[in-house]
Amino acid sequence: MDKQQEYVLRSVEERDIRFIRLWFTDVLGILKSVAIAPAELENAFDEGIGFDGSAVEGLTRVYEADMLAKPDPSTFQILPWRGERQGAARMFCDIYTPDGEPALSDPRQVLKRTLDKASKLGFSFYTHPEIEFYLFKPLEEGKLPKPIDQAGYFDNVPRGTAHEFRRTAITMLENMGISVEFSHHEAGPGQNEIDLRYADALQMADNIMTFRMVIKEVALEQGLFASFMPKPLATGPGSGMHTHMSLFEGDRNAFFEAGAPHQLSPVARQFMAGILKHAPEITAITNQYVNSYKRLWGGAEAPSYVCWGSNNRSALVRIPTHKPGKGQSTRVEYRAMDSAANPYLSFAVMLAAGLKGIEDGLVLPDGAEDDVWELSNSERRAMGYEPLPASLSDAVDIMERSELVAETLGERVFDFVLRNKRAEWDAYRAQVTPYELEQYLPVL
Amino acid sequence: MSSREVSLATQLRRAGVLDAARVESQIEQINAITGTYLEDPAHALSYLADPDAGVLQLLRLAESARDSGNLDALVALRGTEGGAKMSVLLGGSLALGDFLVRHPDFVADFGNLPVGEKFADIDVRGLVLRGVGADPNAEVPVATVTGAAGQAAMRVAYRRVLMRVAAEDLFAKVPTAIMHEVGSVLADLAGAALDAGLALARAEYPTHDATRLCIIGMGKCGARELNYVSDVDVIYVAEPAEGHSDEESLKVAGKLANYAARACDSPGIEPALWEVDANLRPEGGDGALVRNVASHRAYYERWAETWEFQALLKARPIAGDIDVGERYVDELAPLIWSAVEREGFVENAQAMRRRVEEHVARGEADRQIKLGPGGLRDVEFTVQLLQLVHGRSDESLRSRNTLGALHALRSRGYVGRVQAATMERSYRQLRVWEHRLQMRKLSRTHLMPATDAGKRVLARASGFATVEYMEEVWHDVRREVRAMHLEMFYRPILPVVARLSADEAALDDDAARARLTAVGFGDATGAQRHIAALTDGVSRRASIQRQLLPAMIGWFAQGADPDAGLLAFRQLSEQLENAQWYLKLLRDSRTAAERLARLLSTSGYVTKALLISAQDITWLDNDDDLAPRDPARLWGEADAILKRSADAEQCITALRGMRRRELARTAAADVLGLLDSVEAAKTVTMVADVLIDGALRIAMDTVTKTKGLEAPPITMAVIAMGRYGGQEMGYNSDADVQFVFDGEGQDAQSFAQQVATELRRLLQTVGSQPGLEIDADLRPEGKNGPLARSLESCREYYGRWSDPWEAQALLRARPCAGDKELCDRFVKAIDPVRYPPELPASALKQMRSLKARMESERLPRGVDPRRHVKLGPGGLSDVEWSVQLLQLQHAHEHPALRTTVTLEALNAAVAEGLVEVNDAEVLGEAWKFATDIRGALALRGVGKRTDVLPNDVRQMKVLADIMNVRMTGSELDEQYTRASRRARLVTERVFFGWTEDDR
Repeated sequence: MDKQQEYVLRSVEERDIRFIRLWFTDVLGILKSVAIAPAELENAFDEGIGFDGSAVEGLTRVYEADMLAKPDPSTFQILPWRGERQGAARMFCDIYTPDGEPALSDPRQVLKRTLDKASKLGFSFYTHPEIEFYLFKPLEEGKLPKPIDQAGYFDNVPRGTAHEFRRTAITMLENMGISVEFSHHEAGPGQNEIDLRYADALQMADNIMTFRMVIKEVALEQGLFASFMPKPLATGPGSGMHTHMSLFEGDRNAFFEAGAPHQLSPVARQFMAGILKHAPEITAITNQYVNSYKRLWGGAEAPSYVCWGSNNRSALVRIPTHKPGKGQSTRVEYRAMDSAANPYLSFAVMLAAGLKGIEDGLVLPDGAEDDVWELSNSERRAMGYEPLPASLSDAVDIMERSELVAETLGERVFDFVLRNKRAEWDAYRAQVTPYELEQYLPVL
Repeated sequence: MSSREVSLATQLRRAGVLDAARVESQIEQINAITGTYLEDPAHALSYLADPDAGVLQLLRLAESARDSGNLDALVALRGTEGGAKMSVLLGGSLALGDFLVRHPDFVADFGNLPVGEKFADIDVRGLVLRGVGADPNAEVPVATVTGAAGQAAMRVAYRRVLMRVAAEDLFAKVPTAIMHEVGSVLADLAGAALDAGLALARAEYPTHDATRLCIIGMGKCGARELNYVSDVDVIYVAEPAEGHSDEESLKVAGKLANYAARACDSPGIEPALWEVDANLRPEGGDGALVRNVASHRAYYERWAETWEFQALLKARPIAGDIDVGERYVDELAPLIWSAVEREGFVENAQAMRRRVEEHVARGEADRQIKLGPGGLRDVEFTVQLLQLVHGRSDESLRSRNTLGALHALRSRGYVGRVQAATMERSYRQLRVWEHRLQMRKLSRTHLMPATDAGKRVLARASGFATVEYMEEVWHDVRREVRAMHLEMFYRPILPVVARLSADEAALDDDAARARLTAVGFGDATGAQRHIAALTDGVSRRASIQRQLLPAMIGWFAQGADPDAGLLAFRQLSEQLENAQWYLKLLRDSRTAAERLARLLSTSGYVTKALLISAQDITWLDNDDDLAPRDPARLWGEADAILKRSADAEQCITALRGMRRRELARTAAADVLGLLDSVEAAKTVTMVADVLIDGALRIAMDTVTKTKGLEAPPITMAVIAMGRYGGQEMGYNSDADVQFVFDGEGQDAQSFAQQVATELRRLLQTVGSQPGLEIDADLRPEGKNGPLARSLESCREYYGRWSDPWEAQALLRARPCAGDKELCDRFVKAIDPVRYPPELPASALKQMRSLKARMESERLPRGVDPRRHVKLGPGGLSDVEWSVQLLQLQHAHEHPALRTTVTLEALNAAVAEGLVEVNDAEVLGEAWKFATDIRGALALRGVGKRTDVLPNDVRQMKVLADIMNVRMTGSELDEQYTRASRRARLVTERVFFGWTEDDR
């Protein structure tokens, strides 16, 4: 029994926790939860809690159904939501096979493996996401969702519901040990953004899972509906999760070099080159739904072309400017990922792509200074700005040939994602949409 | 001096001096300083471990004594036992010699040593405490020499005693006999140093009276078996003194503990003694340094892990307030064994067994006395493992000390007397070497010296006449320790009646079952039954089994299926009850016995083969016997069989027996990692060739005779097809063939037909020796065509063939038996068909669609395609079809591609630039991987399917073991999935011709 486990057991006792939710994430990034009583906790630490893995998307193949969830005591957190005030807490779990080997199909393990690889090169990986989402009035069946307001970017709506919502949500997040950097109203009606303070990638992935849960809970409490769907409104902007990344060597930001162009070290440039080179391959992970591509190709600041720029909001990879002397905050922002991605797998492939750039010593192409959307197709081709995949189908085809993604996810997760996403595409293609009926039925 | 007497220099050299001239001159200098002369220096020096160094140290000491006014004391030692002790010290320990040179006033100590001094008589604690001016009899001793000076004084006092211990140790006639006493006194000395450290600390912190602090020795110090130089493991426990709060107590206790430790291990004018390591405390390095008894207890009751309880086994109060220490021990002792039980001793025992084996398995580390194979760690593990298995129910085994535990295990009958004695002897010898090595420079080393000079000094220091002799003993000791682990652990499992002698231990049933379960037998009761049956009775057989079984049981336990291994061993032994050679072989050849155990507990296929023909076990002793036979030799043997007898049945039985024998040989070598799966498949193919050729000769002969003919009217040949043609036959494969003859007319056809039918009968009928299924479905027109076809008819058929798959099938056609000339003509006839100048687009399309259809249709129902190594994506057939397509397209132009062997064709295609190197590597790797897995599945021999990966990770692990790769089950799974995925992508490009845009 280590010290952290001891701490958890003690807290459970002292805080009168009645049950503990064990959380883990399926391959698609949906949070799963098993509740156990405090009496079972010690056993859960020692041996793990058995569950039927075949019921969870992508976790197992049917014939090896039994899996073990072992809680990670460092993720222990009292759940602050109402109704569970007396006594619920949660921990994230790692999934193991009945033999006690880490399950190759557990997204958390995928990220851990990749972080381990970075750590062997001497790096730790930090991320800081800007999570966008929509607040709607309660959904009514058969009707389009109605945003809660008509405000815009940075608008401060007096007595606005969104304002009140953000305040409650942020308090709750802070109560759960998740620091919020910044929050504001986004460009779309009812669209909000909350930025989490940077943390190491594993903790951040856990935080994002918690974040989505908290946002949904708070919305329900306030009679609203929150959604992380990448593009819920055809006319409004999509919800992205721009993610700032940095590598640290010990205490030193490995991306920073004083006096270099944009203060970017060679490591940062190689990392960016890796991200750019592999961006099309990892898109099926960072933008995993049919709907994701409607955001990606729907204009309004979504990055559709592979290029980078300093403070260029049309570029896929952006170097945010920061105050001089703040070398520690040098970072690279990846703008493709959307709010519905599985953060574990996405961070893993983004990191792997960057590390590959470092390992292969890739050279960063010139940065883009123009607004890439304003260029003509020929201009973009001439400048070498490749497009990201145009659809989920394209993205999956490109990913299928990616050694990088296969190695990072592990063969089992890789195979599952391929099959699952193909099935999603097939199901989508089988639809006859209202748009088609409207356009074609009257005239054809 | 008479002329026959040798010069001093020669005498010195004989005494072991390396540089006689220098030593002679140094002796003269010593004589000059002391004003006297050394008597018979050569004789005196012959006792020293390093005489050259000893003399130099004596010279330095003489100078130092002269300068400090101690010369008289030095001279007084001349000719005394004390003088002799000092000399061996100077020759055995450079570091303590230096110490003496620094402190020449201690020379007098050697004059005052009591004759026949026992270590136990030395008042170690008193000597060290008085060194810092503390009263050892005071309830709470406080130092009067304090600060840096006090610390130096403590260390000097410690080393002064150490010097005395080392001198007595080196002077001892039989150092192994007193090794345990040395270990005890060194532990006491360490305790005394910490006690003096506390006395110094108290002088520093006047509030010390708020606490009653005790230092608990753990590890070797707690067990009183300490080395000369070793980390001293401690735990601190403190109770408040009367009138003080716990908080005050712990606060000052922390300061005292820290100060005492630093007194021992911080740098200073007088060098540090050793590291004090408090990391065994609750919560390790992160935990509070000092706790009270209740807090310790609470920790162990709730949080501690099993290994922490094991560590507690050695806990002993060594310094400070002993009453508090004893309370600590008394309160925790009951927890230790109940905890071991709670956590499940089986897993722990198994984990420990694995650790022991990992140590034993390590190839390098040949010089490691402690961690190397057969080193001290192995002895300690063996003893602790037995303590763990049996100490739960038998309290008398709960000794702190390795030798104490060994004695208890022996006297309670858990290990045999002989084994215990051997283990003890080895342990003592290893410890003496370790002591001698550490003593030399007071360094924490566990390595046997690498240099000749170093070895020479060690041999002399530890009582060996020559380095060679010492190395012989070193080798023996390590071998014995390893053998004794198996002997001690497994021998007593044998029933009482199976004891080799009255000295032998035998466990009761429960204890024996505990041991069997602990090492991985699923059915311990069944195992006991087999063991009893094997060792029962007074026969010679039973008595040899008693010798053998302990080690065999240990080896079975390492295999995938220990229970099956033991059962098969019983069956084999019963079958060979009267065979003298069998048990003799196993008794005399460890290699054979260990290999047999591995085969029986791993491979169902080999076990079956050995049960049919047990005499094959003789091969296991000899790698040459396990190597594939030279084809010429087998062809010769077959020829001799056919010439020897005219009886068809006799001949075919002999030939089938020969094939069975060679399959068993190949399979055994395959499991033992002596050959790879590709070689194995080649051998299996070759043996089938010999058998089929023999069968053809017999069949021709028989049909000729039944027809009343003088000679056969035709010539005939057998063409190997499919994987058999490609020399890639598996252990359980059928032989795909077609029959060709040369001759005209209806008679010829009917003759050939009869020969082919007879050949199949010969090979397929049930007999005493296993048969070989002949599958002729790949012949022209398949099942509808005649079984044998004339060459002319073949030529005609292939001339107007319509299906490209038939040309493709011919790529694998390889004449394997029959008339040489006909074989050549057949090859000439089919070459234009299988190596066409051009592959028409229609044929290519047909091939591709056929393959695509097969992928969806041929796979058995309910099988995950990705786990099918033959037909699944990226499996054998993907690679083979890709290679065959390249052959059809290019072999006409590139004759190097004209081979039936997949890997050869692939390599040729790379060499000719027809496929990219990377693609070929991916295909070749996946193909070899799949072949390895198929081979391993066949060898494992459970279940019928040899083409489907098991779903259970444990079964995958067994396959990895058979394949002799170091992987877990999941890793093997992942690796194969990766290799096949890549191969599939290449196949899609190379075979199907899909480009990026097609997708």
